Amino acid sequence: MGRMSIALDQVTKRYQGATVVNDVSLDIGDGEFFVLLGPSGSGKSTLLRAIAGLTGVDHGRIALHGRDVTHLAARKRGVGLVFQNYALFRHMTVADNIEFALRVRHVRAAKRRARRKELLRLVALEGMDERLPAQLSGGQQQRVAVARALAHNPEVLLLDEPFGALDAKIREELRRTIRQVQRELGITTVLVTHDQEEAFALADRIGIMNLGRLLELGRPDDLYARPATRFVATFLGAANLLLARESARGISFGAGPVLVPRAAGAPIRDREVVIVLRPEEIELAASRDRLTTAHIADGTVEEILFSGALERLRVRLQRGAAGAHVVRSDDGSDEPHLEITRTQHEQRALPLGPGQSVALGVRRLHVLSTPLSSFTVFAASEDLAQALKDEPLLASLAARMKTRIAVRLEPGAAVGDPQTRCGGAAVIRALPAMANCVRGLLARGAEAVLILPQHARTPQRVLIHCVDESARRATLAVSASLLRHMSAEAVYVGILPSDDAVGAQRPTGMRALLDARSEAQALHGLDVRTELRFGSAASELALRLGESPDSLLVLGIAALTDLESFASLLETPRWPVLVVREPAQPLEGREPERVGDELLRLA
Amino acid sequence: MPRSRFHQPSVLPGFGLTLGFTTFFLSALVLLPLAALLVMAGSMHWADFVRVVTSPRALGSYRLSFGASLLAASINMVFGFVIAWTLVRYEFPARKLVDALIDMPFALPTAVSGIALTSVFAANGWIGRYFALAGIKIAYTWIGVTIALTLIGMPFMVRTLQPAISEVQRDLEDAAETLGAGRFYVLRRIVLPTVLPALLTGFTLAFARAVGEYGSVIFIAGNIPMKTEITPLLIVIHLQEFDYRGAAALGAVMLVASFCVLLTINLIHAWGRRRIAGTAR
Repeated sequence: MGRMSIALDQVTKRYQGATVVNDVSLDIGDGEFFVLLGPSGSGKSTLLRAIAGLTGVDHGRIALHGRDVTHLAARKRGVGLVFQNYALFRHMTVADNIEFALRVRHVRAAKRRARRKELLRLVALEGMDERLPAQLSGGQQQRVAVARALAHNPEVLLLDEPFGALDAKIREELRRTIRQVQRELGITTVLVTHDQEEAFALADRIGIMNLGRLLELGRPDDLYARPATRFVATFLGAANLLLARESARGISFGAGPVLVPRAAGAPIRDREVVIVLRPEEIELAASRDRLTTAHIADGTVEEILFSGALERLRVRLQRGAAGAHVVRSDDGSDEPHLEITRTQHEQRALPLGPGQSVALGVRRLHVLSTPLSSFTVFAASEDLAQALKDEPLLASLAARMKTRIAVRLEPGAAVGDPQTRCGGAAVIRALPAMANCVRGLLARGAEAVLILPQHARTPQRVLIHCVDESARRATLAVSASLLRHMSAEAVYVGILPSDDAVGAQRPTGMRALLDARSEAQALHGLDVRTELRFGSAASELALRLGESPDSLLVLGIAALTDLESFASLLETPRWPVLVVREPAQPLEGREPERVGDELLRLA
Repeated sequence: MPRSRFHQPSVLPGFGLTLGFTTFFLSALVLLPLAALLVMAGSMHWADFVRVVTSPRALGSYRLSFGASLLAASINMVFGFVIAWTLVRYEFPARKLVDALIDMPFALPTAVSGIALTSVFAANGWIGRYFALAGIKIAYTWIGVTIALTLIGMPFMVRTLQPAISEVQRDLEDAAETLGAGRFYVLRRIVLPTVLPALLTGFTLAFARAVGEYGSVIFIAGNIPMKTEITPLLIVIHLQEFDYRGAAALGAVMLVASFCVLLTINLIHAWGRRRIAGTAR
């Protein structure tokens, strides 16, 4: 590989105010087969068109083989593009279609003919030269489209949902052909699809997009086994998401602590985490003592679906068996169900029917690194709590994160009972004198506190500011988690005191900004823009928020006392503010993505 | 009992009824009057017929009528395409208004458009005066006739092309562009062949309308025998002299000539369609 074939740097594309592609940076190696995977509307096709040059970008750079092509017309980029609907020229024969690119370049007839024959052999369509597209089947037409896109020896082959219009069998055949052609030519290829099976079958690496952002990229098996985000965990294959507590003793699901052995290492802070349980990693047994793996709960079989090689079961967890909160991906209900699949072999060992009670064990689990595991609304009354829960910003965040919003009724959240711990993010209404309240919640273990004004608009921009560099790590982690679930731009705001005669501290300030940018990129795959301002932090932030009202502020603090200097900002804020505090017991310098690694092998 | 081979069983009922109506209306409104025209012309002596239809004045009028109509339809092919393209492909403030304007020549009594055109293109009109400075006369020449016929045919061309252009897939143009084709190449090799059938249909309609046009032309033409006299006007002149047979003879010639032109265009059309659709379906 070595040389980068396609390099995207902070590519952003907006349509009528909406950000369709949001700060995507990506390097694709020479000869690599890269698959962009995402649901429809995630911006993957727009990104592909931007690489092809058919769509301009509003921000960022695109380089092909080290050549900056950001402002180069599509016809000069030397790419081949294959469309979902083939886009063959219907009034031309197969031969004319394939030779189109060569004719444009005034290649001699004999040479054109030789190249055409070669390409037709490559896509297994020899002898079809004189047919018209209408005389070919869908699969054959797409083969012609592939041959046509390769005629001019492009440096990059781009495929936009090329199998979308084909039926399953033809699809598989064509998939094999394309993989073969790609290997034979060693051409760098980017394929866009919403079909994860297709992505697994073809990709050297997969990049997963949602809401215009490139969420994660990696080898298919890596992404499947160790997703970093809820979205990827549930989009790539089926997954049960559960809330659990991580402590020095291991992972525990609710009341009856289910301890998971953990390799010796740094102490882990007591916190709420999101667990990914793949349906095939759950073991079922008639009773707890028959399990060969760590027991997590008991339950009742509710539904059994036979689907060929695998059996799909839905098991309802027994009430209290585990206070584990199962986050259901499809209907968002709080019903504690788990999806489980079993092989034929397992079915024979323990035949099950609906209504039967079973013990559940887990072979392997994965801890997501997300710091925003769940939301807890703190309010004085039922009505106020409901109003907060119904705030569109919070409701859409929770839905997209596939997590719950719990409610705690406390007359004074700030004072509350310091013994009742609080996990995930706390949510409170913007009221006068918020600083105390925020301090109380952070002291009780909240990872972050979200202050919501009434009818907060959906933010177009997330401003990130940390009091100092020690607060940066947690702040960026929370910001990244937040930004993965909304289509807003990220701006990292650095503020230097104004009494610094412009200049002396400037280089330090700039360096801090660049550090923050590269940390966000390296650890979270998040691209942020940076701004440097001068003055007092609280008033500069207020000014900046006033400039662009559709913003959300992520404020990172290192110690609870830092809140005092921001008291004015937290005085009935008109903007949503998310206060993040660097955890008292840091994660001992381990990269957030890797937190769960030691916990994975349980059996 | 062997059934007619035209009568194939169909899921759609009412074939007999609709065919009956079609035959009746076509006969009553098109075939019978045309037959009457031919009968009338046929009742002349052959020598008389030839004399009337080959008189220098008649020949001059054919040249003007068919020449100007073909020219006008050709002009419409170019500008009608540009107008239709603009209306379909671009979003601009007064688009709806411009779109509505296209239909105006349909709705105006043709005499009104004739008078309007004459006042604009006469030697002292808004536009005509500048051409007059350059020594070009528009009104009362064949140029004026062509302009009138272009105006009359334009909506036919635009309305025929609009749906065809909106059906040209952007993907085709995008594909051609990624393959290295420039804008003009894409237009010539991809867009035009795709809209060719509609272009030909529009041409046919615009041409047919122009050949039969009377009202708008007579005002701007000046009607100088041999020079700016169109065949329909010559027919009216014959009628005013109560020479019904002479009028019918000229009418018959127009009928046959128009039919030949339209048939030719339709054959080209069918050939093109067969080529694109392929023989498989």
